Amino acid sequence: MWDAEPISKPLAVPPVRDAVQPLFDRVHGWITTVDHKRLGILYIVYALFFLVIGGIEASIMRLQLIRPHNDFVSPQVFNRMFTMHGTTMIFFVAMPVMFGFINYAIPLMIGARDMAFPRLNAWGFWMTAFGGIILYFSFLGGSGLYGAGSTPDVGWFAYAPLTSPSFSVGHSTDYWIIGLLISGFGSIATAINILTTIFCLRCPGMTLGKMPLFAWMNMVTAGLVVLALGPLTAAQLMLLIDRYLGGHFFDTQAGGSAIIWMHFFWVFGHPEVYVLVMPAFAFVSEIIPVFSRKAIFGYPIMVGATISIGFISMSVWAHHMFTVGMTSYGNAFFVASTMAIAVPTGIKIFNWLGTMWGGKLIFKTPMLFCVAFLFQFLIAGLTGVMLSVAPFNWQLGGSYFVVAHFHYVIVGGILFALFGAFYYWFPKMSGRMYNEKLGKLHFWVFLIGFHLTFDFMHIPGILGMPRRIYTYEPGRGWDTWNLIITIGVLFQAVGILIFVYNLVSSYFKGKLAGDDPWDAWTLEWSTSSPPPDYNFATIPVVRSRRPLWDLKHPEDPDWKYE
Amino acid sequence: MAATTIAVPQPEMPLSHELRGRVGMWCLIVAESAIFSIFVVAYLYYAGKSISGPTPREVLHVPYFNSICLFSSSFTIVMAEHAIARGKTRLFGIWWLLTIVLGAIFILGTAREWYGLIYRDGLTISSSLFGTTFYSLVGLHAFHVLVGLTGLSIILAFTALGYVKQEHAERIGVFAMYWHFVDAIWVVVLSVVYFITR
Amino acid sequence: MQEPQIGNAEPTDVMLPAPTAWPFTLALGLALIFAGMLTNVSISILGAVLYLSGAVGWFREVLPHERHVRVPAEPEAETGTVPAREVMRLPVAQQVQRAWLPLKIYPISAGVKGGLAGGIAMAVLAMLYGVVFFHSLWYPINLIAGSLYDAPAIPTTEALLHFRLGWFVFALAMHITMCLLVGLLYGAMLPMLPTRPIVLGGIIGPLLWTGLLYHVLGYINPLLDQQINWYWFALSQVAFGVVAGLVVVRQNKVWTSENLPLAMRAGIESPGIVDEHEHDGEDTRR
Repeated sequence: MWDAEPISKPLAVPPVRDAVQPLFDRVHGWITTVDHKRLGILYIVYALFFLVIGGIEASIMRLQLIRPHNDFVSPQVFNRMFTMHGTTMIFFVAMPVMFGFINYAIPLMIGARDMAFPRLNAWGFWMTAFGGIILYFSFLGGSGLYGAGSTPDVGWFAYAPLTSPSFSVGHSTDYWIIGLLISGFGSIATAINILTTIFCLRCPGMTLGKMPLFAWMNMVTAGLVVLALGPLTAAQLMLLIDRYLGGHFFDTQAGGSAIIWMHFFWVFGHPEVYVLVMPAFAFVSEIIPVFSRKAIFGYPIMVGATISIGFISMSVWAHHMFTVGMTSYGNAFFVASTMAIAVPTGIKIFNWLGTMWGGKLIFKTPMLFCVAFLFQFLIAGLTGVMLSVAPFNWQLGGSYFVVAHFHYVIVGGILFALFGAFYYWFPKMSGRMYNEKLGKLHFWVFLIGFHLTFDFMHIPGILGMPRRIYTYEPGRGWDTWNLIITIGVLFQAVGILIFVYNLVSSYFKGKLAGDDPWDAWTLEWSTSSPPPDYNFATIPVVRSRRPLWDLKHPEDPDWKYE
Repeated sequence: MAATTIAVPQPEMPLSHELRGRVGMWCLIVAESAIFSIFVVAYLYYAGKSISGPTPREVLHVPYFNSICLFSSSFTIVMAEHAIARGKTRLFGIWWLLTIVLGAIFILGTAREWYGLIYRDGLTISSSLFGTTFYSLVGLHAFHVLVGLTGLSIILAFTALGYVKQEHAERIGVFAMYWHFVDAIWVVVLSVVYFITR
Repeated sequence: MQEPQIGNAEPTDVMLPAPTAWPFTLALGLALIFAGMLTNVSISILGAVLYLSGAVGWFREVLPHERHVRVPAEPEAETGTVPAREVMRLPVAQQVQRAWLPLKIYPISAGVKGGLAGGIAMAVLAMLYGVVFFHSLWYPINLIAGSLYDAPAIPTTEALLHFRLGWFVFALAMHITMCLLVGLLYGAMLPMLPTRPIVLGGIIGPLLWTGLLYHVLGYINPLLDQQINWYWFALSQVAFGVVAGLVVVRQNKVWTSENLPLAMRAGIESPGIVDEHEHDGEDTRR
């Protein structure tokens, strides 16, 4: 019976928009929903909200550092700002937004009607949400707003023994532990859900070798979450035991070890970087082919590189700890493994370039962000290889050079790819086109801001400026650089404002996008925009990696070549 | 459509969505193993590093009987699975009850051991590093046994009320995977705590 | 989820999981249980109540039967295909594909011969330099050895003029090894250089190498750096490059096996495996 039609035909009739409901009914609908698309949007909106919060925290830090001996905020508040900025951006912006896109797109891309466990999906989102709320309640808890509450101030990786009851009095560190513990449970549940969905819910014909790269890369993402969040949860449980029950895990006075916390944290922390960057790779792997009008170059190699990154990323964690002092064998191993991970990553970059090579490039906003991603992620990778050399790391570990490096990864790489994804899937999610002019303006303003801030941040790092200082002496050659860095933040903030304005105004007033505005090839574009609750009226059947290509070009389908 | 007249390859079927319960449970088991492995690493790393308090050799005794009970509960739960797969709900109830009894013996044995350790040997979670690591690792496992026992008891209650039927065999099989996992973890915990580092 | 309809079956109503607030309740309960640790135990108790009710509610949502809602599916419309249009495929003809990989390469022996010949030329020039400027054959040899051997204790210029057995053996071994390796590199590289292999490989390459060393040797071994006359150094490098390159290009090329089919590379002999016309007249192969 599958011979008759390669895949189901798109629905031409847009779904009837619900009549405006009372506010209570709408809120109730969002709270009780188990639909992967609505949960995906909840994740994304939640993450955008925290992106603004985390951005404000970053701006406060940069304003404090704009000139030497500034007293915009006190040292205590500064400590809280960098702790909350890091924690928020990683756990309540980057992870939720990635989960949001994965949640939204994966079932559509693999031709399923929902995730494998729809209710667990809702539970996962609400756990993440409540985790963030508990963490931010710390601003109000304890001594109240006047002393900035009892907000965590131990850095986002909360090194022992600073977190021991004797050094961190009150509940500030407990807020950090419990907020992350709860959102961690949610993340593990969501990751299990994603893995099961990809394994079990693919539509007929979609073998692993025919899955979109988006699904492949996010399968590795979810696998890494399953493997890596356990260690964080375990380490945080140990810290809770230390703080609440008087345990001695990280208590050096009783034979415990502060170093082991670092190991446990980074066993989570480094794979986490790949948890965040792998969805970015996935976005780029979908957007670049569509805007180059070519199939992805080297699909099997991309899959292989993805999996090998997944494996190698589990064995590089101690490169965050070169300055701690390890044995020469330990150093050598982690130097080598860290350098090795650059190889599959480089393969990916070449494959994306190979996809663009000879293609008919269309520089719409999503593509612009992806091209910037390629350049910036390359530079981030190069400083990463520099930092992987242990002696170099001994010089610059813990300096602003490191801060510049990982912001290059997270902002220049991940955030740029994420903006690309926003513009790429916005027509599908909302049914309306974004404003292309505003999108391009956002790109250029943000690009300028990004480079002003993070290019120049390398230099005070090389000149010896340590991270996490709340102020500095004049005349060390850091002053001008810090001024430039802070000016860049202004550009980035303007860029974000343009972005948010574009999303909101286009949602209400944008022109209708149609089902397939990009002439793309994956299954989500075969259904209407926004998709109906059931995604596909009939479950599609695919025969190649580009099912919509086959549908649009029945005279020249892809499965003849694969 | 013209293209369909030439030989269109038959699409291969991916994994069935019937398997999602088992796949999901496997993923959960991997995630739990990651948590346990960190506690095991901590236990091994801290073995013999305790500054004060009793040493493991002085106070720990290998819980042979408890372990045999827990391990044999894996066998009884397999028998129960077989029974429900063939629709013999009564037989299923008996094997299921036996599983609960064996699990309960294990957890009571752990409670007795802890009671002795706390009140006779003065080893508590805050008394020494050994106490901290011991109670966390064994306690984490005991917590999983308790969760498993709760689930087992709920299913037993529904069996007694006559709600459990042959069609639930798949779900019960998925739950049994969790119980097997709890047993398998005990192999690791037992050998690490009572044999390797004692 | 119910059994999906596959293919072109007529769409009917679709069963979707019913919306439910119990996951929300369960999550809120769990979060409040933990939040009680930060605030007050009463919060934990409230959380426990919510947690239990959430668990029971969720359980009843799934068992004995999963609750579903029936959503009417829109009928399928017979549109959506894009009319046929011209599709360009990138040319993957064998010649184009092989543009940057040589079909024929030099044998390994060519690299060895080139390296040795270049090494002799370089040594002759270097010794000439030693005799002309320092009246000593041993000066350049000692310099080579001094770059690694006993490096911290580089003696004065005076001491470098005399023959030392240990340094001589070390320098000879190092010189031969380096020359062989670079010769092999030449053998591999020259067929791939786009134009004028002798100019690129014999002159520009050594000059670039000299420039690199000129800039970094000061950091690696400053004492050695002071002892080197860079013009002569560059000259001897170029001598090596030109001689080695000339020797290499005079050797006969052999076919690579990369463009042969797998069956031939695996040594299977059978008619029809390879297109015989392709290599007509190329007797150099095998």
